[in-house]
Amino acid sequence: MTEYIIETIKVSKSFGGLIAVNEVDLQVPRGFIYSIIGPNGAGKTTLFNCISGFYTPESGNILYYGTPIQGMPTNFISSQGISRTYQNVRLFGNLTAMENVLIGLHNKLNSNLLDAVIHTPRSARENTWSLQEAVRLLEFVGLKGFGDYLANNLPYGLQRRLEIARALANNPRLLLLDEPTAGMNIQETTDLTQFIKRLRDELEISIILIEHDMKVVMDISDRISVLDYGMKIAEGSPSEIQSNSRVIEAYLGPGGAALAEKYQKQRRNSHA
Amino acid sequence: MNKEIIRSSSQKGLLFGIVMIFLVLINFHLMASTMISKLMGTNVLRGSLPEARFFIIFLVLYAIWVGWSAASREGKTIHKLFEGLFAGLIAGLTVALFGLLLFYMLETQTDIRKYLTALSFPSMRFFLLDMGELGILVHFGLFTLLGLLGSALAVGLRSQKVAHFKQGVKTAITNLRLRITNALPESVNKYGKYGIYLLLLVILFLLPTRWGSYYNFVFGMVGLYVILGIGLNIMLGLSGQFMIGIAALFAMGAYSVALLNSPIPHGLMWGFWPSLAVGVVMAVIGGLLLGLPIMRLRGDYLGIVTLGFGEIIRILLNSDLLTDITGGPRGVQNIQQPTFLGTPFNDVMYAYLIIVAMAVSIFLYYRLENSRTGRAWLSIKEDALVAQATGIDVQKYKLLALCVGAAFAGLAGGIFAARNQFTGPNDHTLMVSINVLSVVIVGGLNSIPGIILGSFALRGLPELLRELETYRLLVFGALLVFMMLVRPDGLWPASRPDLEEKGSPGLKEDIEPAEEGRSND
Repeated sequence: MTEYIIETIKVSKSFGGLIAVNEVDLQVPRGFIYSIIGPNGAGKTTLFNCISGFYTPESGNILYYGTPIQGMPTNFISSQGISRTYQNVRLFGNLTAMENVLIGLHNKLNSNLLDAVIHTPRSARENTWSLQEAVRLLEFVGLKGFGDYLANNLPYGLQRRLEIARALANNPRLLLLDEPTAGMNIQETTDLTQFIKRLRDELEISIILIEHDMKVVMDISDRISVLDYGMKIAEGSPSEIQSNSRVIEAYLGPGGAALAEKYQKQRRNSHA
Repeated sequence: MNKEIIRSSSQKGLLFGIVMIFLVLINFHLMASTMISKLMGTNVLRGSLPEARFFIIFLVLYAIWVGWSAASREGKTIHKLFEGLFAGLIAGLTVALFGLLLFYMLETQTDIRKYLTALSFPSMRFFLLDMGELGILVHFGLFTLLGLLGSALAVGLRSQKVAHFKQGVKTAITNLRLRITNALPESVNKYGKYGIYLLLLVILFLLPTRWGSYYNFVFGMVGLYVILGIGLNIMLGLSGQFMIGIAALFAMGAYSVALLNSPIPHGLMWGFWPSLAVGVVMAVIGGLLLGLPIMRLRGDYLGIVTLGFGEIIRILLNSDLLTDITGGPRGVQNIQQPTFLGTPFNDVMYAYLIIVAMAVSIFLYYRLENSRTGRAWLSIKEDALVAQATGIDVQKYKLLALCVGAAFAGLAGGIFAARNQFTGPNDHTLMVSINVLSVVIVGGLNSIPGIILGSFALRGLPELLRELETYRLLVFGALLVFMMLVRPDGLWPASRPDLEEKGSPGLKEDIEPAEEGRSND
């Protein structure tokens, strides 16, 4: 066992001529909130898709607790305790919130076709347990009373939360959140930030976060990696990243570092 | 009055007029009148014409429809009324011109049956309501006046007051129901449901003995389609696999029973029950064999491949190659009847058998739908990629759905073959697959009451309304188009179960379901 929950070693993935992820090394320690940032098209989501098994990387290794998982089917990876949410919310829209969470509990249950048909003690026990568990999860993410709504009919912010509830139902050790605050207002964003912290503190889940809202990222991350054109250009604590000139250039273009320095100096002067 | 109103309502009127002419050209007016006449209790002898007043009833309904559909939903009342009147006027004018043409042909004895087979002299005379030139005027007057009436009806029934009234009635009924439930002791509420089931059971038990073998036959057909529909629904409605070849799986069940339980061609006399079991197993194997190569296909592609599978099976059964094994085009005759206490099954016993099979299928379906397996299927239908990433083995569950669905199809097929005592390639054509598909879609995906309703509407009614025989496919197509426009989710759309309360014991009062957006809207 290593101290890292997930480790990527020189992972590369390309689409035709475009190299979306280029020899990226990441080490995510257990219990960390680890953020991946970068401009649009930097390969963040592609990296997520490699970790969660949607894509098979062309080269490199992805180690989960030290065992390689690259190229495994997504359901296997999920059963090992890696859950994820999606950049554009992908719920089972015509099913209710409860059903969405119950489907998330799939890995935790064992009843099969026969159990369902003849209602064995096992299926009865699992049925009661899973319903209670689903209600508990809905309550945990703040969706109490919305359980019988169709997922499609929920407001956007709640859909995001439901997606997290479905991911949590798997009882994950690692949670991949892909832009969880996209499209949220300031209040919702603050709530969700607190919520993510709670996930780590109360449930001891390691979290990898893709996020564009710098306030959120700097607020809750233990460590940050920056991707640009598929390559990792920087890694460090939030304060290190903030002052890294390559990062600023990736976001603001060449000369951006000088610009940022000028701006910061101005601000310091005005404060003084 | 602005031009727009005149234009749209004259278009509507013209459309309805032309449709009316078309209906007359295919002799639909005669047939519809015959049907109305029968519905009102006046029998019409074969070969003779119904009375003209029944055609007038048809016309009245049709003309009211013209006005109703011409009246737009928004705008001033006077505009709506004018629209109805004007559309009626135009429709009347169109029909009257046509009537004039027919009258002229009657006068000059021009026989055009060479070109339009249906348009005989009696039929023309009937269209003019047996009144000659006066009939033309009646047509014109009817359409104009009733167009106005139709739009007036539309104005009245769509008004706010009626909407309020409807809402009031709805609330009153809900309140009454609540009051009754509250007034009754708890035990009655708890077991009342079973009382209703018991009553249903008694009715189902008594009916087949009372209503004669023809109705038993029709009812049996409906029942078999319900079972087939449930089978298809597991593939299409639950796991989202577009299957058009269910007739092939149906054939596997039917042929298993036929070949294992008949003197020719193999002389195997296994008895009905073992061969029915083999039939179900064969269908499951068929589903599995079909499923393995097509797991990666989705949507329309899957539909095409399964359609091909259905045709392959039918052509194989029909071919000379397999005549020694399957009986070839002539099919398998003299399939042995199952026996009950020594006496072979009669139509009543078959009705019971089908009722039992139907009940078992419905029971199994409900058990499956609300289980871990059923939810896994539903999630695959919604989004297979996400389902897999949630931990579901998509391929396994898709195969499982095909096999379970196939088992139902095999069951229906086995019973079908034994009941007819014959089965041949023509019992398993593409039309069977399409009929089952229509039953499920018209009734409502994932809805058992919907599938039962759909079977009655699409399989039962055409049998009962033999008048429509010639136009069955026409009416069938029109009904499908109409249904998809008016009720795209089926006759009885499914709703998702409320589960939150079940998972929170003792917290019932805490959960407040909000007003809008609930799943059962």
